[in-house]
Amino acid sequence: MPPSERLRLEHVLEMVSALEAVILRSFGPEGGQVLFTRNTGQAMLSRSGTRILSALHLEHPLARMVVECVWKHSRATGDGSKTFILLLASLLRMISKAISRELGASHTYGFTEAAKAAAAPHLANKLLELASSDLDDLVAVNVVPYGFCLSLEDFTTHRLLLASFFHTRVSHVHCSYLSELTCEMLNRWKHKSDLPCVSLQFLSDNFPALHTPVSGFPVSSSRLIEGQVIHRDFATARLPNKQQPVKAAVFTNYMQPVLLGPGDVLKVGYGDGVTEQNTMVHFSAWTERSLESVIAKLQSLGVSLLLSAVKQSDAALALATQAHMSLVECVSEEELSLFMQLSGVTPVSRGCTIQAKHVAALSFCRPILLGAHRYVHVAFCEAAETCELNPCSLVICGPGEEQTDQYICAIRDAVCMLMTTWEPKHTSEAAASHGTVQSNKSPASSDMTTQSTANEPYVLKKCVLEPGCVIPAGGTFEFLLSKALLNSSLPSVSQLLANALLSVPRQIYSHSPKLFLQAQTRIMSLVQNPSNSVRLKESTSESTVDLGLESVACKCQLILAVVQCATSVLRVDTVLHAHTALHTRSKKHTNSSQDSTEDEEED
Amino acid sequence: MALNGDDEDFEWEPPTEAEMKVIQARRERQDKISKLMGDYLLKGYKMLGECCDACGTILLQDRQQKNYCVSCQEMDSDIDKDNPALNAQAALSQVRERQLAAQTPEVNGGPSTSSSQAGGSVPQPRPEHCEGAAAGGRTPLPPPAAPPPSAPVPAASLATARPPAPPQSAVFRPVLQDAEEAVLTKLRWATAQLQSSPSLEASIQLCSLITSCANSLRSLKELSQ
Repeated sequence: MPPSERLRLEHVLEMVSALEAVILRSFGPEGGQVLFTRNTGQAMLSRSGTRILSALHLEHPLARMVVECVWKHSRATGDGSKTFILLLASLLRMISKAISRELGASHTYGFTEAAKAAAAPHLANKLLELASSDLDDLVAVNVVPYGFCLSLEDFTTHRLLLASFFHTRVSHVHCSYLSELTCEMLNRWKHKSDLPCVSLQFLSDNFPALHTPVSGFPVSSSRLIEGQVIHRDFATARLPNKQQPVKAAVFTNYMQPVLLGPGDVLKVGYGDGVTEQNTMVHFSAWTERSLESVIAKLQSLGVSLLLSAVKQSDAALALATQAHMSLVECVSEEELSLFMQLSGVTPVSRGCTIQAKHVAALSFCRPILLGAHRYVHVAFCEAAETCELNPCSLVICGPGEEQTDQYICAIRDAVCMLMTTWEPKHTSEAAASHGTVQSNKSPASSDMTTQSTANEPYVLKKCVLEPGCVIPAGGTFEFLLSKALLNSSLPSVSQLLANALLSVPRQIYSHSPKLFLQAQTRIMSLVQNPSNSVRLKESTSESTVDLGLESVACKCQLILAVVQCATSVLRVDTVLHAHTALHTRSKKHTNSSQDSTEDEEED
Repeated sequence: MALNGDDEDFEWEPPTEAEMKVIQARRERQDKISKLMGDYLLKGYKMLGECCDACGTILLQDRQQKNYCVSCQEMDSDIDKDNPALNAQAALSQVRERQLAAQTPEVNGGPSTSSSQAGGSVPQPRPEHCEGAAAGGRTPLPPPAAPPPSAPVPAASLATARPPAPPQSAVFRPVLQDAEEAVLTKLRWATAQLQSSPSLEASIQLCSLITSCANSLRSLKELSQ
């Protein structure tokens, strides 16, 4: 492509179709896995769209933009990255078809190209308006009645939702086992008084510290163990005594003041010059004395386990061993912060006196052998903060590193997906924009009534999608929403979106078009008889068992994200290639277009 | 969303069947290109930000830093199949079109036999002949597009000299020798024409004529043995 050619819609479509072809074979519950290998021999096995797309070598700036959008969406919702690309490709195709139809009458080709280039972002903007404002209402009215809410008491629905999620990520043999395991973990971390999203958020934030990968064992060996696993081994040969409770302290800095680091300047004998009293020897003796006092204080408090974020000095190690204390060094920040949250202690910082608040009480602390590694296993006493919680850590086994990695990513994304189901986020975004518009319209008056009416649409918008809403999988959502869009009195772009949505169930049933038609007729017949609510519930429960469940909130967020991505891709007028100085040929171009993206080739 | 005004909206007609076929073919080609590109991306090829100069497809780059265009190098070109110089079918269809154009103004009552070809209507060559696969014994010579007047006459004489009927060998041999002579003459003439021919199309047809002559010579020699 010449350095500053205008971007054509066909070019964009070709790029997105290539990405679609990449993920198509992994799509759906019957999809396959992709094995990536590096020259170093390292391998990665995945069915996750984000991981597959991120592993590709893409220098095309728009392709990277699309993959970035997919990655961000996956981070937010945990699911739907392959559906994202599928929907994006079909949406762009519909837009292209609509534009060709509109401009088919024009016979002057030059004019057609320019008109085409202007028409695409225009259509995309209209779609974005539709998706931001009317989509939630449409979904709430036309789709949600055919679904139901997850129940907090009974975890059967959770299990079903997770099983259908795992069906798209791991092999079907392990789906039910993994969903059982995840449900059990959620149950144990559930705080009775809080909403599920609080515990899910906690799990999601601390997931790196809450799981241990073990390769070389079958998946069925995966289990939950009580307490926390610290992924380091004891630095001292001596293990903590078996007396209960075991007292522990957390150190984030060096126990012995560091003599000299690189770049440090130590001024000895400042002011008086170097005398016999203030040489280096005296300084090092002072550091040793301060270390001894720290150890003595810890001993007086009965501490027998020391957790350190840094590698302590040999003297500290020797003194700790002498004082019958065990030391674990180089503990990661996440694990330390989780430990401190669960035990309720504050870390010992430099210079402060060690008090009771720095000492945690653990019910036990012992080494645990997981796979080829020995770790430290701690369990917490029943403290006031954690009395309702039953902290546990997940040990995930897999035959090889790649499979273990795959299962871990799947579980982490499942937690994220559940979080999105229980807390639909995008409604607050749309509501915020509406809220600000309303408040801007009313002039700065301190009238309570105007302010309350201004805030009302904000509050109302937020509750449109109920938390925990799920619907039978297998294209139900797409069929229902597509029908709703076609029947609504919304602008013509809704037809575009309606047709694009149908590509998803078409791909799900691509191996058998008959099933697609059957599914479509079944759901359309449900829609035709809205009064027959009993039949509705029966049919939804039947289809639930067969097809599984999917989250409505994730789907809504997906559609909005796809439309946003399509808009941003179509808004790009020109791509400029700016080569860095490393390249032999240097091309510097003046930027004439305002809507342009600059691509610097990295080398 | 009428960008060009309402008049042109009313002028829009749905595409004809031929146009639909073209659109369908183009779409299938695009799908194939996308699928190939997806496969290459999964094999570790890099998708560049540049397009191919010839066809406008996105370029891929392999591990050895070599650029690769999927449509140019792997797929049959969209337009090559319409070029008569490269495709026998296209050449045939071009010849038929010319015949059709030539026949309509002419009033040629009687059926054109293979002997009276001086008028200008050329007998319909069968596709197998054009491919150069001339079976022994059949009339293998496709007449060139702009036949010189002498050309049809030796062809006609060859057509009459059919060897399949089993005459006695004494009568057989002079007939075969005549046939051989005629073919050699034709071969010499074709070679001379080939050396001086400026057109690509004619050269290709002359070459196929030479091939057919050689084949007929071979079969005649086999018969004489």
